[in-house]
Amino acid sequence: MEITADAGIRRAFTAVKKTSRREFIITGAAAAAFSATLFRAAQGLLSEGGQYLGLGLSRPISQAPLAPASVEIDPVAHALNRLTFGPVAGDYERVANMGVAAFIEEQLAPENMDDGLCDRATARFADLWGEPLGEHYEEDDDSLPPILRRVTTLRAIYSRHQLFEVMCEFWSDHFNIDPGKGDCRWSKPSDDRDVIRKHALGNFRDMLRASALSPAMLWYLDGQANSLKQPSDKANENYARELMELHTLGVHGGYTQQDVMEVARCLTGWSFYSKRETRLRKAIRPRVFLRNVASRTPFTERGEVFFDADHHDDGSKRVLGHEIPAGLGKDDIERVIDIVAFHPNTARFLATKLCKRFIADEPSAASVEAVAKSFAESKGDIKTVLRTLLSTAEYAASAGVKIKRPFHFVVSALRATNASTDADKPVMQFLEKMGQAPFRYPTPDGYPLEAEHWHATLLWRWKFALALANNQIAGTRIERAKLQRSLGGDAAMMAAVLNRKPSADESDAFFKSGDGLALLLASPGFQRC
Amino acid sequence: MSALAHLTTNSDDKRTLVVVFLRGGADGLSLVVPTADENYYRARPRLALKKNGLLDLDGNFALNPLLAPLESAWKEGELAIVHGAGCEDTTRSHFEAQDLMEHGGFVAGGWLARFLRARGPSISPLSAIALSPTMPDVLSGAPSATAFQRIEEFSIGRKTTPAFPRELRRLYEMESGGLRGAAESTFGALARIESIDTNAAPENGATYDANDSFHQGLRQTAQLIKADVGVDAASVDLGGWDTHFTQELTITGNIRSLGAGLAAFRRDMGTRMATTTVVVMTEFGRRLGENTSLGTDHGRGSVMFAMGGGIRGGKMLGEWKGLTREMLDEPGDLPVWNNYRDILAPILAKHGAPADSFSKIFPDYALKPLPLYG
Repeated sequence: MEITADAGIRRAFTAVKKTSRREFIITGAAAAAFSATLFRAAQGLLSEGGQYLGLGLSRPISQAPLAPASVEIDPVAHALNRLTFGPVAGDYERVANMGVAAFIEEQLAPENMDDGLCDRATARFADLWGEPLGEHYEEDDDSLPPILRRVTTLRAIYSRHQLFEVMCEFWSDHFNIDPGKGDCRWSKPSDDRDVIRKHALGNFRDMLRASALSPAMLWYLDGQANSLKQPSDKANENYARELMELHTLGVHGGYTQQDVMEVARCLTGWSFYSKRETRLRKAIRPRVFLRNVASRTPFTERGEVFFDADHHDDGSKRVLGHEIPAGLGKDDIERVIDIVAFHPNTARFLATKLCKRFIADEPSAASVEAVAKSFAESKGDIKTVLRTLLSTAEYAASAGVKIKRPFHFVVSALRATNASTDADKPVMQFLEKMGQAPFRYPTPDGYPLEAEHWHATLLWRWKFALALANNQIAGTRIERAKLQRSLGGDAAMMAAVLNRKPSADESDAFFKSGDGLALLLASPGFQRC
Repeated sequence: MSALAHLTTNSDDKRTLVVVFLRGGADGLSLVVPTADENYYRARPRLALKKNGLLDLDGNFALNPLLAPLESAWKEGELAIVHGAGCEDTTRSHFEAQDLMEHGGFVAGGWLARFLRARGPSISPLSAIALSPTMPDVLSGAPSATAFQRIEEFSIGRKTTPAFPRELRRLYEMESGGLRGAAESTFGALARIESIDTNAAPENGATYDANDSFHQGLRQTAQLIKADVGVDAASVDLGGWDTHFTQELTITGNIRSLGAGLAAFRRDMGTRMATTTVVVMTEFGRRLGENTSLGTDHGRGSVMFAMGGGIRGGKMLGEWKGLTREMLDEPGDLPVWNNYRDILAPILAKHGAPADSFSKIFPDYALKPLPLYG
């Protein structure tokens, strides 16, 4: 009859509890945190009122910064194309001066780099971001997913931690959760914070463990329903299968239907207090619900993950050839996570996906093997793995072979034009037309990495280019003449936007098209990275 | 050759094939209920649909009452149903099974795309359309295919001068590979679509649900077909069938949408249904036994529908061996007795696939086509 809240999760929530609005109201004990919040908000309002209109977020541009001089994509431009969501004015000069190796190290240590513009762009959502999940349940049904999409887009546009944001996007696809599914509309934001962003440049095993017991994932893949009331009950296989198929081994990673069933048995009994303890959920776990009502306040418990030993299948299991003895209880999950996180096929599967993201749609076996080896040897240390990947010969030789996915395209266009944007509905609608608004992918496999899936989106890219260049997107503004002037004229602007010197044909089309900036953004050269 | 007796080719290029994919693994046993099989009722003490209230089809099977709008198509012989249908994939993975059912084998590109290539080049850039935000795999590799959600969206913008698309096109024509082909398809489709009257109302009193994206996909497919812009194949998705948890709650709206949408399309198309075939498929069915969360887990066989286009329906086609324990597929699933290719092949033949093209459309598979056309 033991019900044990998972200690790690509990610590994570305790750590952020000081910003809880309700606790302040109920106990009056969080005055310090509240006044800091108030101070931040007031500061934001007074100095940067324009942010609420999506204005005042453009960066200062130094006069005529160094621009790429070659028609080929040079190594500096290549690094900016691949490690960021596209360069902003001045990036090329900065990276050329510091060197690509130093740039990579800078990007691998975002904690050492302040991020004022991004903080300003997202300041109005900062409170919400710091709150524990239980507080998020106070929000209306449809309020959080749009904020999550918006904050994610604003960060991609304005953050200096570009590689970190790129990796957050990568992991959000890898551990995809569509917040349209039930409780996920409240629990996905804390998954984004406590799983994706917390571990994006950390350790894969830690991220996998966090994901396995993330309330949003427990809901999305039915882990919370994977509970045995009586010995004849069968485990819910949904998460167990995706854990191996999508998160670790890959579909051809050597697991069997039997392994899926055994992993599902290992994970029985883990659940969390969701927004609504519905009648059905009461029926499934009457004792848990009664205890919840009787001895704890449902408000503080909501969002808390727990292990219900009564509903756990505590018999022995065999997972991928490893014996898991009977009686381990809540330690079963640790064994399972170790087995799948450190499996050699997991290293290969993750290496393949990372190579597809950073090198080419069909990376060579040699690159995949080198990255997989690094993944295995470092026990999933993501920074080590990225260093290995970025030092492969194939990476260096792959300039311009990739096609930007729509999100990358939109963000890179906003960055290249030094746009001020609130990333609100009008921008999101363009992303939806192109089929890649953040957190809108409906199935657990996440947006595909390969270019072929995105070929049908060209028309919407062209329409976005025209709308952006002509200030026809509400909440988004560019200063076209100023941009052209401060970059140092048309030729320099072309080089800055394309991240290389334009070809003679591109230059010719720029002047003949009647709308040079829109043409550049719509051109095939700008789709490549 | 006798195995292929049900393949009669017809190269009438006015035919359109509409592929409806139910994503997530639709529970065929809830769509078309095996009312004569006690094992169904035993395996689903809480989820089974009681006999009374269902619409009897042939004494052995009955339609879910939410599919009542399809009853007239069945009675008029335009609707054929195949139960225990699906693919040979045994991973029970959505992505593997969808992959296989869309690719039609372990090959690059989709079966619908290979069918279009086998039929020969189309003059229409709208030959293949997907009413969806992204291109489905079934159309991957098609000679030209376009994904969109609203016909009205399909223009570059009114304010540009002719120079803009001209210069843009010039740059894309200098490209190689995927980008070039993608741009060619886009420019071609743009020119073609300008001739369509998007305000045309549905015909014959048909009504689509304005707030249902599946219905709107079918409505616009009908508009495009009727405008004779040369649509050979259309793909429309209806998602949300992955009912591990409280199945009855999650599946009801979907079943209603499916029945009403297909019936509205048939009515709207009127006599054009004679040259239009709608086929409904899903990646797999659900396990026969319900789970403890009032849902069903991934299984194998499900149900397929084929409607219109001269199909001799009004009867259940294909194998059905019953749901006794020894018949079930491990770990207790309705088996796949009828491979989806054997249902699609006669339809593709009717739509003009040359007899010698089937080894390319469905490689490494010995076809045993079902008698969809009598």
